[in-house]
Amino acid sequence: MSDGPLIVQSDKTLLLEVDHPRADECRKAIAPFAELERAPEHVHTYRITPLALWNARAAGHDAEQVVDALIGFSRYPVPHALLVDVAETMARYGRLRLEKHPVHGLVLTSTDRAVLEEVLRSKKIQPLVGERYGADSVAVHPSERGNIKQTLLKLGWPAEDLAGYVDGEHHPIDLREDGWSLRPYQKEAADAFWHGGSGVVVLPCGAGKTIVGAAAMAHARATTLILVTNTVSAHQWKQELLKRTSLTEDEIGEYTGTKKEIRPVTIATYQVMTTRRQGTYRHLELFDARDWGLVVYDEVHLLPAPIFRMTADLQARRRIGLTATLVREDGREGDVFSLIGPKRYDAPWKEMENQGYIAPAECVEVRVTLSDDERLAYAMAESDERYRFCSTTPAKTRVTEALVRRHADEQVLVIGQYIDQLDELGVHLDAPVIKGETKVKERERLFQAFRDKEIRVLVVSKVANFSIDLPEAAVAIQVSGTFGSRQEEAQRLGRVLRPKADGGGARFYSVVSRDTVDQEFAAHRQRFLAEQGYAYNIIDADDVGEEDPAR
Amino acid sequence: MERMTGTDFSEWLRGRSDERLRALVAARPELVTPVPAHIDGLAARACSPSAIGRALDRLDRFSLSVLETLALRPGPADRGTVLSLLRRAVPADRDDKALGSALDAALDVLTTRALVYGPDDALLPAPGVADALEPPAALGPPVAEVFRHHPPERLDVLLRDIDPAYEGDGRAGGERPDGGRPAGERLAALLADSATVARLVGEVSPQARAALDELVWGPASGRLPNARREVDAASAQSPIEQLLARGLLGATGEETVALPREVALVLRDGRVHRDLSPGPPALEGPVRDQHLADRTAAGQAFTFVRTVEELCEVWSVDPPGVLRAGGLAVRDLRRTAQLLDLPEWAAGLVVEVAHAAGLVAAGEGEWLPTGGYDGWRIKATEDRWAVLADAWAAMERAPGLIGERDDRDRPLNALHPDLRRPGAAQTRARTLAVLESAPPGLAPTPESVLARLAWEQPRRRPALRDRLVRFALREAEHIGVTGLGVPATHGRAVARGDGTAAGLLAPLLPEPVDHVLLQADLTAVAPGPLTTDLGRRLALTADVESKGGATVYRFSEQSVRRALDAGHSADDLLAVLERHSATPVPQPLRYLVTDVARRHGRIRVGTASAYIRCDDPALLDEVLADKRAHLLRLRRLAPTVLASKTSRAALVDSLRAMGYAPVAESLEGDVVVARADARRTEGQLAARATANTAPDPEVLAAAVRAMRAGDSRRRPVEAPEGQVPRSPATATISALQEAIRQGSRVWIGYLDSQGHATSRILEPARMEGGYLTAYDETRATVHRFALHRITGIAEIGR
Repeated sequence: MSDGPLIVQSDKTLLLEVDHPRADECRKAIAPFAELERAPEHVHTYRITPLALWNARAAGHDAEQVVDALIGFSRYPVPHALLVDVAETMARYGRLRLEKHPVHGLVLTSTDRAVLEEVLRSKKIQPLVGERYGADSVAVHPSERGNIKQTLLKLGWPAEDLAGYVDGEHHPIDLREDGWSLRPYQKEAADAFWHGGSGVVVLPCGAGKTIVGAAAMAHARATTLILVTNTVSAHQWKQELLKRTSLTEDEIGEYTGTKKEIRPVTIATYQVMTTRRQGTYRHLELFDARDWGLVVYDEVHLLPAPIFRMTADLQARRRIGLTATLVREDGREGDVFSLIGPKRYDAPWKEMENQGYIAPAECVEVRVTLSDDERLAYAMAESDERYRFCSTTPAKTRVTEALVRRHADEQVLVIGQYIDQLDELGVHLDAPVIKGETKVKERERLFQAFRDKEIRVLVVSKVANFSIDLPEAAVAIQVSGTFGSRQEEAQRLGRVLRPKADGGGARFYSVVSRDTVDQEFAAHRQRFLAEQGYAYNIIDADDVGEEDPAR
Repeated sequence: MERMTGTDFSEWLRGRSDERLRALVAARPELVTPVPAHIDGLAARACSPSAIGRALDRLDRFSLSVLETLALRPGPADRGTVLSLLRRAVPADRDDKALGSALDAALDVLTTRALVYGPDDALLPAPGVADALEPPAALGPPVAEVFRHHPPERLDVLLRDIDPAYEGDGRAGGERPDGGRPAGERLAALLADSATVARLVGEVSPQARAALDELVWGPASGRLPNARREVDAASAQSPIEQLLARGLLGATGEETVALPREVALVLRDGRVHRDLSPGPPALEGPVRDQHLADRTAAGQAFTFVRTVEELCEVWSVDPPGVLRAGGLAVRDLRRTAQLLDLPEWAAGLVVEVAHAAGLVAAGEGEWLPTGGYDGWRIKATEDRWAVLADAWAAMERAPGLIGERDDRDRPLNALHPDLRRPGAAQTRARTLAVLESAPPGLAPTPESVLARLAWEQPRRRPALRDRLVRFALREAEHIGVTGLGVPATHGRAVARGDGTAAGLLAPLLPEPVDHVLLQADLTAVAPGPLTTDLGRRLALTADVESKGGATVYRFSEQSVRRALDAGHSADDLLAVLERHSATPVPQPLRYLVTDVARRHGRIRVGTASAYIRCDDPALLDEVLADKRAHLLRLRRLAPTVLASKTSRAALVDSLRAMGYAPVAESLEGDVVVARADARRTEGQLAARATANTAPDPEVLAAAVRAMRAGDSRRRPVEAPEGQVPRSPATATISALQEAIRQGSRVWIGYLDSQGHATSRILEPARMEGGYLTAYDETRATVHRFALHRITGIAEIGR
């Protein structure tokens, strides 16, 4: 009986005992082919998925290595069926290849004729391919490069894309490392992306994904299109690029609701790209406006469907996706894999925290109890009204006030879903409210004031979920959210994870109504963070005033 | 060709010692079922085509080649002749000594089995063997056969072309060549002569020679349109025609031609076989670490046992239906495969093995776990595995065929009777035996296993053998008999069937642990199989999320409530967790347990089979106060409601008897009839395939004795006149035991099935299970006698 740190389960999960002396070695060995699913305090769970195995193949690992790692670190015998399954799954990758043929252009070729025949029989593949050249290859129209990869992945025969990339229009971009330098993991991430060609970098909120984007641009040294979630985020990207790179003000264009500039580096929002007028996407030609050498997708977990479709046409250009949580509530992780690229870099949150790159955070769930009248009303509410009803209970306002009082000398963000509730909180806390209708200028003024500590408490709606850089926020209080969204919870925690000037920790409070759907959704929302190792302490609302609840 | 007659064979057989005869019938048990009356009968049966066919089927390739070589000899041969014939066919680099000893072993087998007989210097194939071997060594028919139906004119033309001396005989033209030797014999003699054949071959074109080479080592016939064409050496055009014109090929049908045997033997240069191997081909394949293979196989064995358990658990709650024709619907199998997270073939295997092991069976139109499952479930993992592996090894079914279609294009369903394949168990057993013989660490390739099996029994090719072997190898891997393709130590024990498999497997399996790791995300990880008590406690308090070497549990409101429902208090639960946790109980978990406990039991639910409802509380007071109501076990739930444990009907009757006038209320469907959610069937267990056990040595000995006896007398012995004296049962049994030991004969009184008293002379062979097996001299057969019907026993005076 060997005494390895790993237990291989028959459902293809791997349990890693973190306190084991060989745990680190084992983690490094299995990370390429297994997704970290949960990282609580003692036993981390990884899962071997086909996507992860193909990721590993794409990154140059073979089945032998995977099997060796499993057998070498496993405490118990590894079921043979699992090893066979791993080998078979990995063998499926690369049987089909997309290549550039000197005469025929883009072709789909195969070393295994039967596989090619099988996929060509598929009704979904037929419209994407053209003329057949011999037994082993078939023409693919360049514009279908993304679609065919997507479809092949769904058929279980992921194609290896060897067709290469266009260089795009050259444009000099350099990092200007004066007074700061690229953190090791940022460099590793950018390098991993560049060597892989295209792909996704997963880093926790506050770990400096923008800088990874900038480093990728410095690698590409070409015109770049950056897609971000909203206008404020676009401004932040611009500020950051001006600060970190050799780019100047007039080299960076903004393509938003108000401005339509196209410059060597152009930052566009998802919103403007997906605006439809008379049934057509008016702004998608931006993708063709220049000969882009690199496309950066910020918050790739939010990438809307039309952008996916456009991305399918962009397969000849290098693409980098950035995200903190590669969890899509719509389950389209497979599309991210085939259209943007495989995951090239991943760093667990707690590891970043241990290294001091993100602030340590404590998560607290505060349970409030509905009054008897409210409980009756809740019981009688229509099912689609229930969540709104219980998550906006006045009891939450009282608890929030108590929490704000307790953190009287810290910068506090109050985050919620429902505008009425936020307005009410704004009044009670005497704090400004940022919501959808707040003008961009006003938003930026308020954020700046918050950063400068002129405002201590800010009430924000979901517009501030992402990409808003508020380094000094140390406390976040969430009063309501988008039902059970795991990534929203993670992103909101991310608002307070920037390392603090005083090196202090962050607090994240989630205020939840006891015995209601709010509590159920909260449990679901917390899953991602709990799996990343953030343990929620649970306290009762009544205890908030008395002592330090997070002890 | 001169052959000894059947009588010689019979005499030879009679001359064998009893021991050799016992060895014969042990190797060919079909010869004594039923027991022949005498040695002549035995000889006749041993020469029957079907008996010879079965005996030949059991020969390995080398022994068969020896037999073929003998059969092709025109007369008796001694060992030296056979050896020299064989040596030519063995590659030169082989050890000559090995060939010699292999030949001795083969001749021993062949004579023991009475396929070859005669003195050592004049060995002959037994009568009928040559016919049964036809065609031997992939040779074509003899010349006489090939040219039998050729008209005399054709033979004449042929002879003219072949034999330069032929015309010189003066028997030319249309004259019938029957003056001297018949043309056929003449032709045969010419074509068996190597000089003539060499000359003829020298005459034809190189293409014709190439065509000849194709046919020499078989198959010796080919298709040719218009085979009976008229050609002679002068008019022959194509290479084939050149051969036809010289008798090197002959038409055996309208569209077939064959290479005559004599020609082929000449062209084979005196060899009968091209490439003969005295020993079986070696198994080939990658070599791996045997220990690693054992561990991998053990991991798979553990998984397989758990999968079977999971199947039974799933089916006990939600059993699939039995199809009208028997079996499991394709849809149900697919669903099961999904539940078990297995490919369909593997799910089919799990289902079939569970069935073969008697863990699931059809009952009440559904597939349900049997009572046997409950007994199996509580055994240790290694014992459970041994039960499954043995059931699999003896299973006379081919689960690998599930999902395919039968001859009538109907799908073959799991558990369907049509999946029975005679020979499946035997093929599997032989495959396992080959695996068992593999050296440590070798992972034999399917091809080399097939090659070995083909060498061991070249003539036996059950339908689908190759596929069955591949199925067996695939299944062995899935069940954990092999790991990484290498036969595991415990897997070899299954092949041997010596019952040591469980003991060998046990140390490879994970050891039970008595602690868990509790985590803040409300999971608990048991880093190994839990001790039974803790396992049960945790399974009650938390839901299993992932199984394998370890088990991951998740605590949820429902699961904690379930534990509280089972009578545990929150403090109990936390105490158990604290005691068995390697780390402190995380705050969220503690909170969850206390929070659920806080709300637990606020609503109370009880059972009452009937109630009494009355708007007047005073009347209910009266009922309760009535002494006669005590038996009704009434309980007041509210001022106007009484609950009772008795049935509604009984309550109504009792109240009437007490002088009230109650009215029964309808149930309105608010009473749910409790139904156990886990059901069991008493249905038929799967018929276990009877193992291919060799007949008992004692029975064989009795059979030989019977034949000898029959031989010496040829007439049944008359039982002595008069009645056998009655003797007490114990004396009867001890006298029979004595007779068995001494091999002596006894005289018994026996009540036949009609109840008539008879008396017999017996030679008792074996006593077992209330029956005596004995050779009945009175009727000259081997018979089974019920001990309780033997009325008396006496020694037979002689």
